[in-house]
Amino acid sequence: MNENDKLEILKDILFDDGHKFEEKISKRVKNLEQTLNQKKKFSDKVDPLITQQLNEFKESIPSTLGPVITATLKQEIKHHKDDVVDALYPVLGKMVKKYVAQEMQLLQEKIDNQLGFLKRWKLKINSIFSGKNEEELVLDQLAVAKIEQVLLIEKDSGILKASFSKSKTIDEEMVSGMLTAIKSFVEDAFNQRSQNLESIEYELYQIHLQSFATHYMAIVISGNYTTSSKDKLQDVIFNFYNSFMAMNLDLVFETDTTNKPIETVSKPRIERELKKYFGNAKI
Amino acid sequence: MQKSKKVVVLGHFGVGKTSLIRRFVTNSFSDNYKVTIGVHITKKVVEISNENTISLILWDLEGTDKLDTIRNAYLLGTHGLVFVFDVTRPSTFEHLNNDLDIVRSKVPNTPLIIVGNKSDLVDLAELDVLFKKNSLSVDFVTSAKTGETVDDLFLKMATLLNEDA
Ligand SMILES: Nc1nc2c(ncn2[C@@H]2O[C@H](COP(=O)(O)OP(=O)(O)O)[C@@H](O)[C@H]2O)c(=O)[nH]1
Ligand SMILES: [Mg+2]
Repeated sequence: MNENDKLEILKDILFDDGHKFEEKISKRVKNLEQTLNQKKKFSDKVDPLITQQLNEFKESIPSTLGPVITATLKQEIKHHKDDVVDALYPVLGKMVKKYVAQEMQLLQEKIDNQLGFLKRWKLKINSIFSGKNEEELVLDQLAVAKIEQVLLIEKDSGILKASFSKSKTIDEEMVSGMLTAIKSFVEDAFNQRSQNLESIEYELYQIHLQSFATHYMAIVISGNYTTSSKDKLQDVIFNFYNSFMAMNLDLVFETDTTNKPIETVSKPRIERELKKYFGNAKI
Repeated sequence: MQKSKKVVVLGHFGVGKTSLIRRFVTNSFSDNYKVTIGVHITKKVVEISNENTISLILWDLEGTDKLDTIRNAYLLGTHGLVFVFDVTRPSTFEHLNNDLDIVRSKVPNTPLIIVGNKSDLVDLAELDVLFKKNSLSVDFVTSAKTGETVDDLFLKMATLLNEDA
């Protein structure tokens, strides 16, 4: 069966019962034409009538022809399944794709909701222990982004060089190793050492990563980490880097300071600097 | 000031890398074999002498039968290496010298300790013969199951790294 045959079938299906309608209309048009010929002087009055008729015809297609088309289609599909599938496949393919994509989206949202449910339970538990009510805790979470922790890590080995944190809750040395392993894995897997993993989402935290020559920084952020917070955070990081780290850790010197002796910076010194730059930063 | 050192533990599948680390860090052993995927990181602070401690950050890499497929990034910047084989499985030490060459070329000038594990399953006298026959020079023969010489091995590494720094 070729394309033309298929089109014919479709035409049959779609317009079979429409013939009567067409005939009726064409009769009327003929009548009108006659009237026109007979009474040319009335043409002004007749013209709009024709237009109106045609419009009515257009408008009535869905209600008058719709059910007929549906019924015929149903029948024809039953009898010519393969042909119909052939003819409709390109259209259906797209619809199915869209449908599947939408279902996936829905599933994703459902999962998100489920997680939301878990988070709410966590809040309940947290509220029992912290003495704050759930609303306060929700507000806390929606609150502006806050820097919780800053880790300065040797790039290759993943050894923690120094850190700053508001509350020490995790083993920072182990976390530094793990972040480095994840970072290496992702960057290696995409075969692009020149590109860097930028951030990791972990439960309610965002971990922002910034690489430099010999070290990288991992900044743990709570709250609503928006693009504008990210902007501000990057300013803080680069400020810290340019004013302290470049010179002291990466040994990048301005020309006029090259005569200064190189000192190895102690961990307490770095941690003081971290606190100075990140301790009160508003992001 | 406390130092931290990265130590990578390498070797074929199932030789007991994870078990050795678990024995050393938590002094426990399990017969359940859970394959390590990617890399697992643990830490143990080792006391070398009074007031002299060192933090070992242990990188437990997933097993591989081909050493050149190890992600180089995991080896970067490591301060020490432990290469483990299984004394009961020739396939894990048949090509040991070749394997070690690959490791040394990937990570030159880095302390490397060679360990034959699962000593509880064999006769030690037979082992000597086996090592001679395959011209293997093995630093430690351990058992993660009984704990035999496991601490010694990591203490040795800690000492090497302490001198290094
Ligand atoms: N008998 C004995 N079994 C061991 C020893 N070390 C590990 N195993 C077992 O060998 C299997 C593989 O160990 P695992 O530590 O996961 O190996 P990995 O793949 O190198 O990390 C497990 O079933 C362990 O229980 C040992 O010293 N003696
Ligand atoms: Mg393992």
